[in-house]
Amino acid sequence: MGYITTLLVRFAYFLDASPKYHRSKEFCKALLEAQHSKLKFYFDIFMVLLVVFSVLFLLYEVKNPEGHAYLDMFVQFSLIVFVIEYLLRFWIYSDSHKIFLEHYEQATNNDLPFSLRRTLFAIVKKKLAYIFSPLAIIDLLAILPSYRPLRFLRIFLLFRIFKLFRYARSMKTFTEIITEKKFELFTLATFASFVIFTGSSAIYIFETHQNPKINTLFDAVYWAIVTMGTVGYGDIVPVTTEGMIVAMILIILGVAILAFLTSIIVSSFQSKLIELKESRIFADVEKLEDYIVICGYGRVGEVVAKMLHEDGYKLVIIDNDESKIKLAQQRGLIGIVADASKSRILGSLGVGKRAAQIICATNSDELNVFITLTARSLSKQIIIIARVIKNTHKKKYFLAGANYAFSADETIGVMGAQYIDQPISYAALDEMLTENTGVIFDIISIHEHSCFVNKPIGSLGLKEKRLLLFGVLRKEERTPFYFNPAANFELQSHDMLIIMGRKHHINVLRKLNDKRSIK
Amino acid sequence: MRENKILLFGFSRSAIEIGARLQAQGHAFICIDNDPTLLPKAKKLGFELLVADYSDDDTLLSLGIGEDVKFVFTLFEEDVQNVFLTLSIRSLDPKVEIIATTHTKDAIHKLEIAGASTILDPYQICGKRIYKLITQPEVMQVIDATIFGEEDINMEQITISAHSPLNGLMLQTCYPTQNYNMLLIGLHDKELKKEFIFSTEGHDHKLDAGDILVVVGKSAEIERFKMDFSL
Repeated sequence: MGYITTLLVRFAYFLDASPKYHRSKEFCKALLEAQHSKLKFYFDIFMVLLVVFSVLFLLYEVKNPEGHAYLDMFVQFSLIVFVIEYLLRFWIYSDSHKIFLEHYEQATNNDLPFSLRRTLFAIVKKKLAYIFSPLAIIDLLAILPSYRPLRFLRIFLLFRIFKLFRYARSMKTFTEIITEKKFELFTLATFASFVIFTGSSAIYIFETHQNPKINTLFDAVYWAIVTMGTVGYGDIVPVTTEGMIVAMILIILGVAILAFLTSIIVSSFQSKLIELKESRIFADVEKLEDYIVICGYGRVGEVVAKMLHEDGYKLVIIDNDESKIKLAQQRGLIGIVADASKSRILGSLGVGKRAAQIICATNSDELNVFITLTARSLSKQIIIIARVIKNTHKKKYFLAGANYAFSADETIGVMGAQYIDQPISYAALDEMLTENTGVIFDIISIHEHSCFVNKPIGSLGLKEKRLLLFGVLRKEERTPFYFNPAANFELQSHDMLIIMGRKHHINVLRKLNDKRSIK
Repeated sequence: MRENKILLFGFSRSAIEIGARLQAQGHAFICIDNDPTLLPKAKKLGFELLVADYSDDDTLLSLGIGEDVKFVFTLFEEDVQNVFLTLSIRSLDPKVEIIATTHTKDAIHKLEIAGASTILDPYQICGKRIYKLITQPEVMQVIDATIFGEEDINMEQITISAHSPLNGLMLQTCYPTQNYNMLLIGLHDKELKKEFIFSTEGHDHKLDAGDILVVVGKSAEIERFKMDFSL
């Protein structure tokens, strides 16, 4: 192993171990490439402004070639920024020391001779791949003409406009579509060039001596493209019959090619637009705090979502059925077509960070349990409410970490059996649960300064206020729930009164509670 | 309550749940399904399962519809079956109580037209419980622990009998539940024929024989109340 190789290996290991190096590279990545980073957002805005102003200056310079001192300084500044940006992108595109070490370790682990030449070649190849990527070429063209000897390339400064592609996500999508549809576009371009070539040669052959406007092959090509593009300026018009026939064929083919081109781009745009919308939705979710994630927009999910939405709760709905999500979106909810069993999806939706609750309401126990487990593994605090399909599986939900789990069948069982014995109390129960008649259950928490503190229940005058006290919750004590407490039961701060009655009657009591005691 | 024959059509999961509760309450009931492969499962659970073709009116008549059957549950997984069954039973007996379950939203209306007395919508119930859990977790925990759950606090209905001292009293003056550890949720006035009146509404009712009080409390307290007022 030569001296240089040893030195390079040492250097590569040094870089790999250096936290400073990694940190600065991470920072640059966040600045230039990270999809959701705030830093990149501001950087992008800055760059867009820089590009727009430098192009505006270029236009100003056309009429005022002598320039302006401040503007020149600005141009120099933007140029420096562009150069730095280009170099940084070049730097973060690949990790050369990693490629180097990979090759080196592979060689030493397998007792093979280490070829420095081949390794360096691999590194250079990777970097060259960056240099020749379309966006990098644009970046380079935006810089190069500023170099004095290359002044004649000034028109390329306009390429700075193309630089905008980098900074707007939707523009990026456009380039993505173009690259994705490379094959189709290439085929079409081949066909189009064939048509142009044939058309222009034909018109050249037929009209060169008859038509005074067609003298060179360039004229013919110009005419062919104008005709094929269905523009037809009319500056060059075929005069011979053969020329006219060529024109007719060319027009039809031109229309066909344009139609093809449009359809290719439109169709790929449509599919891409959905993706784009989705990433927009993810960005929307990122702005939310304390929201509820509902997995499954079946009938249960629908009922829950509707009622919570009306109450102003923030919701995010996931379902892998596209039509259901569409329905949710039509109702003004945030819906995402995704497989909720993937922890990546739940993670990127903020389960474990900003989501407060998650409801597993899909129609499969396996999936619900899986989501429960995933959510629990992501966060210890999140409240998980699960719908149990088969009552025998209920235990598994609690094992998986659900806070609440219950099955519709069980409730049906209770209510059905209740109906047989006591149809009237069934009706009462049903109305209490569904709140159809306006009589509701509500909680009033007694806060420290409430005038209810240390007062007996009897002094509240609940009967006159048309309220029924179901019970009092006192969290710290051993028996947390006092059912139907007696009139002399003394209230403490942080007690919770569970009250039944009409909403406005409950609100009267709540207002009283909110008033600070005068003493 | 032997004369109140109960039929459970469709041996589904909800049928098993309802059956288990009915068994616990001491009711006799018969499950009916047209799938003989369910027999071993029913046997294991200790349910009486009759394999019969429910779509045949003669079969329904032979089961006692129109005679001694008081309650019918339609618990099939398919709404089509539930609606058809509801309609056939209603056509045979206008008085029988039909409790139907549904799985889709549009079936609710169809079951209403077909003549179901009560419709249990598991999804609606489940959804609403989740909603309550999120909006009022404490309330739901209390309800779950008491009425639905293990704790000995039940909801019960009490019919006022003709010889009870409550008969003829005004509700607001007698406060029947005052000295008992129980709550009067509301009542069903036989004369007014309204669905259900909550006690918090503040109307003053004259209690008559046949009126039904709905109370919540410990079973022992409710028993004491019943004894004291000879109900």
